[in-house]
Amino acid sequence: MDRRLSVLTAFPPAAGIDNEEYYKESQQHAKRVRELIKDNAQWIRESADDILKHVNPAVHSLSYLMILDYLLQASGRASQQAHESLASYMTEFFLQFDARQIRCTGSIWSDILKEVYNEHSVFPSSIAVEVVTAALLRLDPSGSMLTSHHCHLVELAYSTGNVGPVLPLIQKPIIYMPAKGMSTTQPLCDMSLPPPAYINPDSQLTDALTSFAVLQYDFLCGLCFVERRMWQQAFDAFERCVTYPTRDGGCSKVMTEAYNKWILVGLLLTGKPPTLPETTSQAAKKIFATQGKPYKLFAQAFKADNAGDLTREFQVLNAELLPNEGNVELAKLVLAHYQRWQIINLRNVYTNISLDKIRERTQSAETGAPLPSVEAVGQLLQSMIADGSLQGAIERPTDGSPAYLTFLSAPAQGLSEVEFSAKVNKVAQGIKALQPIIEATNKRLASNREYISHTVKRQLDAAREHKLGLQIAGGGFEESFHIEEEEDLMSGLPVH
Amino acid sequence: MDDRKLVFFTSIEDQGGVIVKETPKFDLDLYIQNYKGRTRFERLFHIGRSSVPLCVDALKAAVQEAKAGKDILRYQMAVNSLFQAARNEPEALLDKAWLDAKAKENRETTLHLQAELQGYKNNLIKESIRMGNEDLGKHFEAIGDVEAAMDSYWKMRPDVSSTEQLVDIGKLLVRVAIERHDWKSVANHLSKHVNSANDSDPKAKALKTYARIANGIAALGQERYKEAAFSFVEANSDVSPEVYNQIASPNDVAIYGGLLALATMDRHELQAHLLDNDSFREFLQREPHIRRAITQFVNGRYAACIEILESYRPDYLLDIYLQKHVPKLYADIRTKSIVQYLKPFSCVRLDTMQKAFNGPGPSIEDELFTMIKDGKLNARIDAINKSVMPLSTDSRQQMQSYALHTFEDYEKQALDRIRRMNIMAADLEVKGTRKPGSMNDIPMGMAMEGAGDLA
Repeated sequence: MDRRLSVLTAFPPAAGIDNEEYYKESQQHAKRVRELIKDNAQWIRESADDILKHVNPAVHSLSYLMILDYLLQASGRASQQAHESLASYMTEFFLQFDARQIRCTGSIWSDILKEVYNEHSVFPSSIAVEVVTAALLRLDPSGSMLTSHHCHLVELAYSTGNVGPVLPLIQKPIIYMPAKGMSTTQPLCDMSLPPPAYINPDSQLTDALTSFAVLQYDFLCGLCFVERRMWQQAFDAFERCVTYPTRDGGCSKVMTEAYNKWILVGLLLTGKPPTLPETTSQAAKKIFATQGKPYKLFAQAFKADNAGDLTREFQVLNAELLPNEGNVELAKLVLAHYQRWQIINLRNVYTNISLDKIRERTQSAETGAPLPSVEAVGQLLQSMIADGSLQGAIERPTDGSPAYLTFLSAPAQGLSEVEFSAKVNKVAQGIKALQPIIEATNKRLASNREYISHTVKRQLDAAREHKLGLQIAGGGFEESFHIEEEEDLMSGLPVH
Repeated sequence: MDDRKLVFFTSIEDQGGVIVKETPKFDLDLYIQNYKGRTRFERLFHIGRSSVPLCVDALKAAVQEAKAGKDILRYQMAVNSLFQAARNEPEALLDKAWLDAKAKENRETTLHLQAELQGYKNNLIKESIRMGNEDLGKHFEAIGDVEAAMDSYWKMRPDVSSTEQLVDIGKLLVRVAIERHDWKSVANHLSKHVNSANDSDPKAKALKTYARIANGIAALGQERYKEAAFSFVEANSDVSPEVYNQIASPNDVAIYGGLLALATMDRHELQAHLLDNDSFREFLQREPHIRRAITQFVNGRYAACIEILESYRPDYLLDIYLQKHVPKLYADIRTKSIVQYLKPFSCVRLDTMQKAFNGPGPSIEDELFTMIKDGKLNARIDAINKSVMPLSTDSRQQMQSYALHTFEDYEKQALDRIRRMNIMAADLEVKGTRKPGSMNDIPMGMAMEGAGDLA
């Protein structure tokens, strides 16, 4: 038994070997473990608990994973009993595994992870969401690579109401998308590799995705943030859908739905209608202009001083679209925030203002009229001060004169040189940190056919302009003709 | 106002016209003497349909003016309006004999001039063709067919033989474009024809003044107020009004230039470009109240400036080009006065301001509220202590927040663009069917149908 256990714990090797050696050893170890499992299947099935207690998932992750895989297979993938008995080991593994070893395993890690979140899973959804979130963050701590597991996870989290545990993952900015043909010549266990080099359909740590899956991921992230009242994050997520790249006049239904929600969340976040970013495709803009028009009119009414306009637009929207698109409560919240934003904006005009004047200057969009009494204004102000949306204090003079609101102003003075320099340095570090991301993207583009043809076209254009420039400057036609002939079209391309 | 006038002005008001009930300060006869050409009728007719006190006099003068010319449509319009406002006036009856005779005469003249032009064309004499087109154009303009006039003037271009002739064509085209209120064409013709004149030419000064005034009217029409103001103040008072009295009078130059400058220039600019400008001072002498208003503004007596302007509001509302812009220009001047008034103070009591700017509109607090909300005034109101405090701009703080915002925005945009590149590199764009506006009908998952609400 000691000999067999020692086989399982023989990997990872001692520190000091290079990535290639490490990768070779991992493959040899995997082969040895497979043989061990084949020759000692009965022993493994009968002594599974003992074995898994001796093998540390944080250190001997590869062996642990292969044993788990065998046990799940041996008891039948669909066997609930087997899953229940192995659930604690799976949890332990996904919370502790060594990401470097997992990069060498191929599909086994993905297959077992799917067992945690698929529809036959024995895990309670709250645990499943927490475990998968932890696993994905262990595999790629930067969280910048979108995988098929992300898409399933966020759908599970939103549909089962377990948004809290998934937040650490969905708040990470997604930069890379899985694509085929991304395999690298470097060993996958090289920890300096960018995420797309080791997480891709070829390495089987993710499945290939479709544009719909990517859009749906951002849309569901937006819904999760809406549920948690995280307006800025929700707005950013919906904006990613709205500005999603399209070609040949394409626009997805998810994009139009996201556009409607993006407008409503934008109103809650900033108190004014959001402006479409420049990166929005022309085709999408046209479709938003027609299909999102009722929402746009609703947003424009939010700007008006008269709450009646907004109430009327809400009624139009509510009769036609809101219930079908599941936006009733969100739009009602916008109505409730209308007066709040009017009060917040009063800080740009007043230092002190009586509660009576606030009642006169602002209106509730829920009723289309001013609040019924000064006391109601006082209560609204108290709630706004309490939730931090209003920086102010209600003063009640002792001489019996009416109560008034004092806006607390932010410190008027700017930052000191040292503070400013520290802030600039911090932002500069963030920009410098983009360098490896840009390099990884460059490498990726170098294998993209369209990018190469675009680059070649650009070089041809540049050569043509250069030729024209020479002609204008007095160079002969013959001379300029040869320049184009001798041009090396492939020079200057990023090294693949 | 009698019943007929009431019905007449009610119908004009219903059509969106401006009605001025106050008596203006100018004398109608003296006013109209300043102009020559078709603008006389236009101005009289405009006053007749806008001013309640001058309605009948102006429309009668318009009828006479039309009858002295060849434009039978204008005559009919003037008689019709006068008939609606005061049917007992002798001029309110249509002179059918004159009308028929003039129509016949116009037709014959048109045929004659067209035949003459055809003869010139057959003889291939360039100078005669040019003059034939000019005569025909002037005839069309006189009978009110401005489209045909424009066409004839335009046809003169290929046959010009000197810069002077080209300039003359430009002036004819500009005059017609102004009559049509086609402001873009005015600027276009000025840049193409009139500005091409040689500056060393002795007539250049007159031409430049004509061009400045025409450009000012066009810029005013397009609400480019500052450009219009500079155009008028660059007009030269030495130039005889004969040069430009078919489009404006020297008094108009003073009024247009003064009002537009008050609405768009600061105190230093007003001093430098208007009060210290010898040439423009000559214009201002014709309208001393405008000069007084400018002086009061420059001296910081804003309330006095506004008071003067308010007393002349009815006059300016009767001006053919200014009428549409008077409310906006007055509002701009008032806003600018309030901003300038507050500048030297750290705190001003609202009742002091109320006295200084006691206007016909809302209370000063409401006015300040609107100005601050619209970003026209950087100040805060203390509604409890009844005061207003101008805020000074902290350039250093602005620079710091701008710099930090730029850096952060750069990082965010860079990440977004890289993400988009990766989406495209992975061939994950949403693809259409090459028909703009078509929907890529992707089936929606369970999360999309009715999802996302807060219930």
